[in-house]
Amino acid sequence: MARSRGIRGRSGRKKINTGGFDLQLTSMMDILIIVVVFLLKTYSVSTNSFTSVKGIQLPYTATQETPPDGLQVIITPEAITFENERILDFVQSASAVGTTEEPSYAFNPTDLDEGGRRIVPLFDALTKAREKSELLRVQSSARDEQGNPLPFEGVLAIQCDKRVNYDTVRRIMYTAATAGFRVFRFLAMKKEI
Amino acid sequence: MLRKPTHRRRGKSEQIELNLVPILDTMVTIVAFLLFTMSFLVLAHIESPFPVASMEDLKEQVKKKPLQLTLTLREKEAQVWSPFDLVPKRIIANTAEGIPDLRGIRSVLFEVKNKFPTEQKIVLVPGPEVNYENLILIMDTVRLIEKTDPPVYFKDPATGQDQVAKFLFPEVVFGNLLGDM
Repeated sequence: MARSRGIRGRSGRKKINTGGFDLQLTSMMDILIIVVVFLLKTYSVSTNSFTSVKGIQLPYTATQETPPDGLQVIITPEAITFENERILDFVQSASAVGTTEEPSYAFNPTDLDEGGRRIVPLFDALTKAREKSELLRVQSSARDEQGNPLPFEGVLAIQCDKRVNYDTVRRIMYTAATAGFRVFRFLAMKKEI
Repeated sequence: MLRKPTHRRRGKSEQIELNLVPILDTMVTIVAFLLFTMSFLVLAHIESPFPVASMEDLKEQVKKKPLQLTLTLREKEAQVWSPFDLVPKRIIANTAEGIPDLRGIRSVLFEVKNKFPTEQKIVLVPGPEVNYENLILIMDTVRLIEKTDPPVYFKDPATGQDQVAKFLFPEVVFGNLLGDM
């Protein structure tokens, strides 16, 4: 100690300061190992290409079945999106405008037909999607035992905000059924068990 | 004259410095790979078919008188019933928060499942005010048997042996899709 404080020891100190800088990698390794372990523990790979929209609040389900890829309709309290294309906006109720209360949204009467059961823009979009799918099946080389093109599966995945009422979900299911979709998959966030 | 002390011992106790740089490289690559391939939106699904019935099916049903277990959700209560009165009608009041009493519904459904262990189907008739979150909760309640639930046994028709049911009523059908709005 006395040597380093003295004038003679100064040359030695300088040597230490100007020497090569040794980065302490051990602590960095520790952090990275923790990150890798955490990622491996929470790792999940999805086999589908389902996306979501901004602001949607999905409910949780205890069901563990992962949905296969397919056509998807997303319902938020403000709008309906089909295959990443916004096809309908709900109308905000006049009573909620300018107040602090939670706004309520409803269908524009011109968007509905069949006594308010069917949503016209959604029906058009779903019919187009079904026709496209059927055309692709006709052009495909895949055939059933009789040599006919594979039938249209008619499966629709419904991703819905947890605040949306059954009244809206029911209209969407009815519309999809009239467009040829016979099976519905209700999507929700998987709850860890 | 004493010999100069050997440095051999000191040399042995010197620590070997492990070269961590390649390990660090590997770690960084693994972290990047995991982050890129990870799915942050982990979804699950509950399937429900659209109810389709022809007149012949309906006639056949009336003859056979199936259970057709139905769960109706109203603003203040839930009702478990069967159109052919195969189970007594049960009314379960909603909780103080105004949401369906899932525990109450579940206990009633377990009673029915013990009576009809091979039954798989349930007809759900929610009111228009039921939100999607409660709908998913209800579907989970009527479909799944949890590990903490009492086991439900049924006789496997193929083998004739007793088996434990894995699901309560896994086939959920909505009964009011074609009704009035």
